[in-house]
Amino acid sequence: MKTIPPPCPEPETGRKYWRSLDHLQDKPEVREWIEREFPDGASLAPDGESRRDWMKIMSASFLLAGMGGLATGCRRPEEELLPFGKQPEGYLHGGYKFFATAVPNRDAATAVLAKWQDGRPIKLEANPLAPGSHGTCACVQAAILDLYDPDRATRHTHKGTDVSAAKVVDALSALSKQFASNSGKGLYILAERSSSPSRNRLQKALKDKLGESVWAEYEPVDLSAGRAATAIAYGPGVRAVVKVGNAKRILSLDADLFGTEQGAAGAMAGYAKHRKPGDEMNRLYVVESLLSITGGQADHRLRVKPSEVLAVAAQVAAAVLKGGPVADKLRGLAASSPASTKWAEECAKDLVAHAGAAVVVAGHRQPLSVHLIAAALNEALEAPGKTLDLVSVPSGGDAVSIPEVVSALNAGSVDTLVILGGNPAYNAPADLKFAEATKKAKNVVRLGYYEDETAAISNWHIAASHFLESWGDARSLNGTVLPVQPLLQPLFGGLTDLEVLARLAGLEQTSPYELTRQTLKDLGADGEEGWKKFLHDGFLANSAYETASVSFKPGAVAAAISGPTSKAEGFEVVLHRDSKVDDGRGLNNGWLQEMPDPITKVTWENVVTVSPKTARDLGLPLEKGTQIPQDQKAHDGQYRQITLRVTVNGVSVEGPVWVQPGLADGVVGLALGYGRTAVGRVGKGSGFNAYPLLTSTGPLVSGAKVEMVTKRALVAVTQEHGLMEGRPVVREANLDEYKKKPDFAKNMDLDGHLSYVPRNPDGSIKNIYQSPYKANPWTKSDINQWAMVVDLGTCTGCSACVVACQAENNIPIVGKGQVSRGREMHWMRIDRYYSYDPNIPASSEVAADDPQMVVQPMLCQHCENAPCESVCPVNATVHDNEGLNVMAYNRCIGTRYCSNNCPYKVRRFNFFDYNKRDNSFADADDHHFMDLTGPLYHGPLGKNRYAEKEWEIVKLVKNPDVSVRMRGVMEKCTFCVQRIEQAKIAVKVQARDSGNVRVPGNMVKTACQEACPAGAISFGNVLDPEASVNALQNDPRNYTVLGFLDNKPRVTYLARIRNPNPAMPDYYASPRSLQDYERIRGENPFEEHGHGGAHGHGDDHGKAGGSGHAAMTGGKGGQI
Amino acid sequence: MPSIFPRWANQFGPKLLVGGGLIGTLATAGVTYYFTPKYTRVGYQPIQPVPFSHRVHSDQLGIDCRYCHNGVEKSWFSNIPAASTCMNCHSLILKDDPRLQLVRDSYQSGTPIPWVQIHKVPDYVYFNHSVHVNRGISCVSCHGQINEMDEVYHAKPLSMSFCLDCHRKPEDNIRPLDKITQLDWKGQVDGKQLVHDWKVQPGESCSVCHR
Repeated sequence: MKTIPPPCPEPETGRKYWRSLDHLQDKPEVREWIEREFPDGASLAPDGESRRDWMKIMSASFLLAGMGGLATGCRRPEEELLPFGKQPEGYLHGGYKFFATAVPNRDAATAVLAKWQDGRPIKLEANPLAPGSHGTCACVQAAILDLYDPDRATRHTHKGTDVSAAKVVDALSALSKQFASNSGKGLYILAERSSSPSRNRLQKALKDKLGESVWAEYEPVDLSAGRAATAIAYGPGVRAVVKVGNAKRILSLDADLFGTEQGAAGAMAGYAKHRKPGDEMNRLYVVESLLSITGGQADHRLRVKPSEVLAVAAQVAAAVLKGGPVADKLRGLAASSPASTKWAEECAKDLVAHAGAAVVVAGHRQPLSVHLIAAALNEALEAPGKTLDLVSVPSGGDAVSIPEVVSALNAGSVDTLVILGGNPAYNAPADLKFAEATKKAKNVVRLGYYEDETAAISNWHIAASHFLESWGDARSLNGTVLPVQPLLQPLFGGLTDLEVLARLAGLEQTSPYELTRQTLKDLGADGEEGWKKFLHDGFLANSAYETASVSFKPGAVAAAISGPTSKAEGFEVVLHRDSKVDDGRGLNNGWLQEMPDPITKVTWENVVTVSPKTARDLGLPLEKGTQIPQDQKAHDGQYRQITLRVTVNGVSVEGPVWVQPGLADGVVGLALGYGRTAVGRVGKGSGFNAYPLLTSTGPLVSGAKVEMVTKRALVAVTQEHGLMEGRPVVREANLDEYKKKPDFAKNMDLDGHLSYVPRNPDGSIKNIYQSPYKANPWTKSDINQWAMVVDLGTCTGCSACVVACQAENNIPIVGKGQVSRGREMHWMRIDRYYSYDPNIPASSEVAADDPQMVVQPMLCQHCENAPCESVCPVNATVHDNEGLNVMAYNRCIGTRYCSNNCPYKVRRFNFFDYNKRDNSFADADDHHFMDLTGPLYHGPLGKNRYAEKEWEIVKLVKNPDVSVRMRGVMEKCTFCVQRIEQAKIAVKVQARDSGNVRVPGNMVKTACQEACPAGAISFGNVLDPEASVNALQNDPRNYTVLGFLDNKPRVTYLARIRNPNPAMPDYYASPRSLQDYERIRGENPFEEHGHGGAHGHGDDHGKAGGSGHAAMTGGKGGQI
Repeated sequence: MPSIFPRWANQFGPKLLVGGGLIGTLATAGVTYYFTPKYTRVGYQPIQPVPFSHRVHSDQLGIDCRYCHNGVEKSWFSNIPAASTCMNCHSLILKDDPRLQLVRDSYQSGTPIPWVQIHKVPDYVYFNHSVHVNRGISCVSCHGQINEMDEVYHAKPLSMSFCLDCHRKPEDNIRPLDKITQLDWKGQVDGKQLVHDWKVQPGESCSVCHR
């Protein structure tokens, strides 16, 4: 008997729980996209080749294959086994080892373990030993791809011609000698910021030897902007390290704590610590202009222009501070705040009530005054020593900034400019005209990882080594000293900055290894044992920055706080750090490029983000019958966006518009780092360059003019990919509601009333999809059974898991054109949903203006009653004995039935041989990853332009324990089966002739789980009572997505709990998605209506719930 | 009315049926015999660069397999020994023998000896030596009587069905752990008991070997 579940009622007034503006309006294109498993034309051959051509190519390949078979007989080709001449000590082929190292980024490094297999590093994981260790961000996961980037600088050059490393060394020695004679006059060094103690030491050594030399540092995105404020408030050399993990109340002033601020992984871990529902649950207030993942997590979010953050900060501070010079100063500033007095006062009251457990964080883009107010607030809230540490930071000496360098260049006083890292020719403030100024220097020497824009203005370009091929050291955010140790010899003979500095200073010791050892000796890692322990542990114990005993200087702070400069007319532009490519350094990294932006879900480029209201004001074309501006989507499901021109002071940039719900009105968001001219093949043609708008005045620009350009551009967006229609797949409630009924999530959707379902005599649900265990119970292992639980309460959507999965499982990148056709290969996607106040009708123009956001990682659910398995004609997707739904790639013939039948839309199909994709093209003008078709693998007779040497490098990043899938094969999350099998083998090898073969519950960690900074993903063997998944599966918040289908997934979710403050004016009694659910379904999950049980009961409770709900809505009306 | 088809056409149908059936049977038989690893792999015996004899080293001298293949208990890969391992003995024994010139050269220069690979499963098969030898499966089960080979040849098909036969009935091959590398051991053991006591569940799921 066929089971027909009751239809999912859709409200006539539109949905309140949506992924994109089109989805909100229920456009026919979105409907079509949902109904098709793959977009229209997905299975067509790429443009330019007809089916006939394909036939020709294919028949030729068959012929060739046949001839090959005849010539070689039926044996496979002969292969050789090449053992060592002399066996290296401790080397075991096929085994892997972990080496502790660190990923440097500006002046805070991440402690990692690099997985080393068969002579090369293949994966980076967080170092669990290091203090405060907690997952990694996406950029750390992707860093390993840079090592094997065939586009990196592979040669040293002098005036464009290749030179040997010896010549470079000679040139550096010559420079050293030249400047030794005049104590360094005319020598300027412009370095990117670094936390390396060795570099600090060498900076000092250089200054000692060449006293007249000038050291400058520059970062286009200055994440340490708050340090100037700390210096004023507490004295120079003091730095504030925020400890979110100790805070119960957090106020963010335009700080994207979990995304683009420094130490995001640590902040997420700390935040997750107190995010479990209960009395100790923390609360997050966010005041911001762009919508960030931090704003998505906020319990209260205030949308203001960037220039208004100061006024809001002042308003809150005025309510917190009782007198004192700072409070006096604030009165005038607070007047212009867009926030209601009640908002600021109640927020302040909540913070004060949690003094000692509250912290205020100001974002790096905000001006000094905001940071000063944050410092004053933290002082008043007794934060120092509790929720933030004031530490004294040793410095390598004075550093000037880039304007001084440029004025020296223009004055002609620079003889030699040495640029260590960075890319100032691309990203220096536009008003400085850095590239032109460098022409006035006699000699420009540059150490860089890529031959980029800055390489073009340098006469010497020295190839830098990757951190995985060099010796060095670094400090984490709190100052703990970390080793940077090589896992292989430099692939292209690159040099490190330490080496260059040592040679410039004319030191005797120039080997980076010896230099680092010397530094560590000074720091206390003494002797052979100390050094070995340092390298083994991956950190130097007790080496964190020392707590500074300083006192707050209210007078100085008050004096330094200044009001906003005269308010300019026009739009405010926010030039922000990109959540993927950072300031441009990650532009040639395919993993980062293809990762959908956590908020916009745009891949491969940047967009001009504006709020829906701004779009309306700009007169962007409106959809008929509604006031919401239309995402400019063409009929084929692809976004073709209108181009906007943003002009400030006569300088303009152009880019495709992106109407971003939740953005502050009158604000234009531009991500930095794209549109580079001298970049490798991956980043070529990606996005537009926003740096021309960045001047010395900082990343917040006002007085911009915005106009439409009659040009459209294709934007590859994944926000509608894998849409699950009309069901409450994400479930959330407020803390108070949760306390009423903790297992409310099990009581939602049809899970709450399964009485309509036909049942077997034994009480189980009649399901057309049957678990193989039911017919053949002996196939179910009684040793290991695997399951995963994802906590939606702590998942911020940062997407580190997506990249970690890509690195672990050899997932190829497909390019922009392919993404726009819905062919991205990520096994894991982060679904981002918006929801808004149900009291606003969808047709209202303000519906999308200020949404709430929820995120949900979606991956193969490993259903026990798997719909995909039943429809596979060749048994390519089957169940294994431990609860995994596995793919046998060799059996798969690519019917894609499984994907069509998957309710979760988590299967991915290899339309082409993406892993063999040709990305070495002869044509310099090709933008291969940007094209709609791109250079896909054209079969054995196609033009395969991969240079053999490059292919050898590209291959190295692959995980040897995972099959590289080919064209025509379906694939999906495997629960990292290679890790499971390795664990099983390890346990069995240890068990030998005993029966202790059960894998301990928490032994296997999937790649996504290991990367997650918030610890939102748990995985384990449910047959071990110790496994943490067991406890989480029994958590009342646990629910199953589409549970009423009786698929019995092995992945379950914990409902998200919000913790809004009832006293706040923008308090909501229920999260909006839940309000919407209640409105549409006419039922209230907090009322018992007999969920999930086998007991039959009438189906009349729906009506009863409906009436109960009506009463509840009435009650709520007053509060909203 | 004249007939359209000639007379012999009457027998065409049956002839086609019989002939087609015969050809089909022959083709099927041919493919199943000649195109399976039992034919294509078993007996493969390439000429190795150094005339190394397992019979001499293992059978006559009694050197344990793990002296040279020392990774077999720890890694998926059973390593071919480095020249330095050979030289442990051959720096004293047969130290000027011309047959060992390549070994000495390799030891001196570090250039690997190009041994020809005989046993190889496809790349999508993740076979693991360590778990087999640590759980009662001897080298002979897959490699045959290596100890009696002067030159190694492919003794078993190592096809998927070969693997599955044992994964379904491990009791036929399991033996006490101290007899793993004793290649000429012919003793009797209650395999079913060992399989039960050690909880041997080799698994027949795809994920056991394919990832």
